[in-house]
Amino acid sequence: MNRRALLSDILLGIVPILLVIGLWQALDSFGYAPVTLLPPPGRVFARLAQQLADAEFQQAIAATLFRLFAGFAIAVILGITLGLAAAASPAINSVVRPIVRVLAPLPKVALYPALLLLLGFGHESKIALVTADALFPILLSTYYGASMVEQKLIWSAMAAGTPRREILFKVVLPAAMPSILTGCRIGLVISCIVVFLAEMITSTDGLGHVLVTAARTFQAVDMFVPLITISLLGLILNALLQGLRSYLLRGFPEV
Amino acid sequence: MMPARKLLSLLAPLLACVGLLAIWQAGALLLDTDSFPTALDALRAVPSILTDRESLINILDSLRRMAIGFAVGVAVSIPLGLMMGRSRAVASFFNPLLMITYPVPKAALMPIIMLWLGVGDVAKTLVIFLGVSLPVIFHSFQGAKAVEEKMLWSGAAMGLSAMQRMIRIVLPSALPEILTGCRTGLVLALITMITSEMIARQSGAGNILFNAMDMGQYDTVFAMIIIVGAMGIGFDAAFEAFRRRLVRWSEPRFDMPLSFS
Repeated sequence: MNRRALLSDILLGIVPILLVIGLWQALDSFGYAPVTLLPPPGRVFARLAQQLADAEFQQAIAATLFRLFAGFAIAVILGITLGLAAAASPAINSVVRPIVRVLAPLPKVALYPALLLLLGFGHESKIALVTADALFPILLSTYYGASMVEQKLIWSAMAAGTPRREILFKVVLPAAMPSILTGCRIGLVISCIVVFLAEMITSTDGLGHVLVTAARTFQAVDMFVPLITISLLGLILNALLQGLRSYLLRGFPEV
Repeated sequence: MMPARKLLSLLAPLLACVGLLAIWQAGALLLDTDSFPTALDALRAVPSILTDRESLINILDSLRRMAIGFAVGVAVSIPLGLMMGRSRAVASFFNPLLMITYPVPKAALMPIIMLWLGVGDVAKTLVIFLGVSLPVIFHSFQGAKAVEEKMLWSGAAMGLSAMQRMIRIVLPSALPEILTGCRTGLVLALITMITSEMIARQSGAGNILFNAMDMGQYDTVFAMIIIVGAMGIGFDAAFEAFRRRLVRWSEPRFDMPLSFS
C-alpha cells in the first residue's frame, strides 16, 4: 500500500470517531441529554486525567492489573502446555478434546458464584475466573497451530539428527508460535474484560468497583472514567503484545 | 470398526460431562463444606428450579431478551461486515471505531445504559446486542474479503447488479465464515445476558444465581450453574448442527471458534 492511500485510510478512520465525540457533545450542548446523565466529553476526559494522578485510583488500577496478569499468566502456561501435549500425544488428545468441547462454550462467568464460595471474595476467585476465560482461546490456538506444523519440517529435523524429545521445543513450538500468539492476544483482551466484570459483580477494590460505587451514587462522570481506563488498558496491552509478536516473529514470513 | 469409532466420538463429550461431574462429586465429598454441595445434590435441585413458576418466568424472560438481542445483532452486523469486506472505503471508515470499542466490556455498560433507558427490557436487550455485534461483523468482514475476485467479475460480466452480486455471490461464499461469527455471537449473547443480570441484579437467570447465594441456598446456586452451563453447551451444539446442514460443502478450518468471550 502506498503512503497516500494509507494516509487517506487513516483520515477516513478518524471521521467516525470524531463524529461520535461530536454527537456526544452536541447532545449536551443542545440540551437533548441532561448533563447529569451524559456528561460532556471534555469533562469526562478532564476527570480521567485528574483521576489518573490520584493515588487511590492508581491503587484501583494496580489491583486490577495484578489480577489480570496473574490470571492471564496461569492461562498462558496451562494453555500452551495442554495444547502442545494434546497435539503431541493422541492419548492426551482423546482426553483433553471432549473436555474442551464441553467447557469452551460454557459461560465461564456462571462459575463465578461457585468460585466465590470455594476461593473466597479476595484475589483468588477473580484470578481463577480470568484464567478460566482466557485459557480456551490460548489452548485451542496452540493445539491448532501445533497440529498444523508441516510434517516435512519434523522429518527434516529428525533426518538432521534432532532427538525426538527436542523436536517439540525446537520445531513444533516455534512453528506454532504465530498461532499461539494470536490466541494469547484474544486471551489478553478477554482477561481485561473479565477482570473488570468480576470486580463489578463483587469486589471491594479495583476499577470495576470504582464503576459500581459511582453507579450507586449516580455520578455519571465517575462511571465513564473507569470504563475508559479499562478500555485504554486493553488497547495498550494489545499494542504491547503486538510489539512482542513482531519481535518474536522477526524473520517469519508475513502472518 | 468405523461405526464404533463414530459412536465413541459422539459419546466422548457426554463421557466428559459425566467425568467432570464425577470429579465435582469427589471434590465435594472430600471438602465436605456446606457451601460446596455435591454434584448429585445440585442435580437434584435442578427440577425444583425449572418447575418453580417465578424462576421459570425469569429464565424465559432472559432467553427472550437474548433471542431478540442476538437476532437484531446478526441482522445489523452481517450486512455491515459484508460491505466492509467488499469496499475499502467502508472498511477503513469503520475499522478504527470498531477497534477501539473491542476492549470495552459490553456488560459493564449496563449501569450507564440503565441510567438512560431505565431498568426495562430495552436496556438489557441493547447490551446483548452490543455484545453480539463485534464478532459477527468481524467474521462477515473476513469472509467477504476472501471472496474470489474472478467470481465477482464473471457475475458482473453476466449482468448482475452490485446488489445482486452481494446477495448471490458474496453472501453464499462468505457464509461459512459468517456462521462461525454467529456461533461465537450466540455464546457471547448468553455470556453477556448472564453477566449483565449479575451486575444489574434486577431480574433474570443471573439474578437468581446471586439471590440464592445471598440467601445461602447453595444447592440452588450450583443447580443454576448447571442450567446455565447446559444452555451454553446446548445452544452451541444446536447451532453447530444447523451450521452443518446449511454449509455441508464447507468444513471449517477449526472445529471450535477461538474466542467465546
